[in-house]
Amino acid sequence: MYHSFLIHSSADGHLGCFHVLAIINNLGNLAFSLFVLLCFLHVQYWPLFVLFFYILSPIPYCIARRLVDDTDAMSNACKELAIFLTTGIVVSAFGLPIVFARAHLIEWGACALVLTGNTVIFATILGFFLVFGSNDDFSWQQW
Amino acid sequence: MSGFLEGLRCSECIDWGEKRNTIASIAAGVLFFTGWWIIIDAAVIYPRMDEFNHSYHACGVIATIAFLMINAVSNGQVRGDSYSEGCLGQTGARIWLFIGFMLAFGSLIASMWILFGGYVAKVVFFRIKFSLYNKMVLWQSFLS
Repeated sequence: MYHSFLIHSSADGHLGCFHVLAIINNLGNLAFSLFVLLCFLHVQYWPLFVLFFYILSPIPYCIARRLVDDTDAMSNACKELAIFLTTGIVVSAFGLPIVFARAHLIEWGACALVLTGNTVIFATILGFFLVFGSNDDFSWQQW
Repeated sequence: MSGFLEGLRCSECIDWGEKRNTIASIAAGVLFFTGWWIIIDAAVIYPRMDEFNHSYHACGVIATIAFLMINAVSNGQVRGDSYSEGCLGQTGARIWLFIGFMLAFGSLIASMWILFGGYVAKVVFFRIKFSLYNKMVLWQSFLS
């Protein structure tokens, strides 16, 4: 799967793109497995709704980046709207488990696990965009 | 006395640089969505009409509409120096902005009203009722 990206991994032992991607992937796997463990331990499937927010979170920023160029004044407004919506999705992903816990649908321990998983997953997604976001070599056309 | 705040300048003390707009968007997003989740939480915990009158949601809805109205207009359109006039022109943009701010402050005042009229007064009334009830029970116990 990794050779389908246009990635140049470095040959001199520094942290090349491939290694960063591997680390990010591992972190994401860790967070996701934490999440699945949570659902099976507490036998409650309400936290799975947070997955919806995970999937939704990179979408506004990706759309904004595809839609506009970088130097226009309108592009800044579009990017800021995307950042606003992304922040909203992140806040919602933290707020939903708390509301569930206060409504006694899930227990507070489960809520804490979901929030931890949230933090890791969003840090992973943020790291992904920081590392690969400004890289023009990265193209989706290989899919 | 009149000019003592002139030396106080806060906008130049932090060097925002190019990230000012990004940080402002993030802060706005956090505040806006936290507000909505607070009201969702309140609606979930108190579903009954007498605890949380459902018409109080109108405050948040109007505030959201006002926020969208205010953000739809750019600075350039209000000043009149943007490339295109938009569909309403400069005066139209100013009126739109004015209405947006009016709705925003109206919903803020409405929320304060709801706080004091809907909840603080109710608790005071309940307290008066409760203290009256206590006094009556006390006297009854003395009388009997």
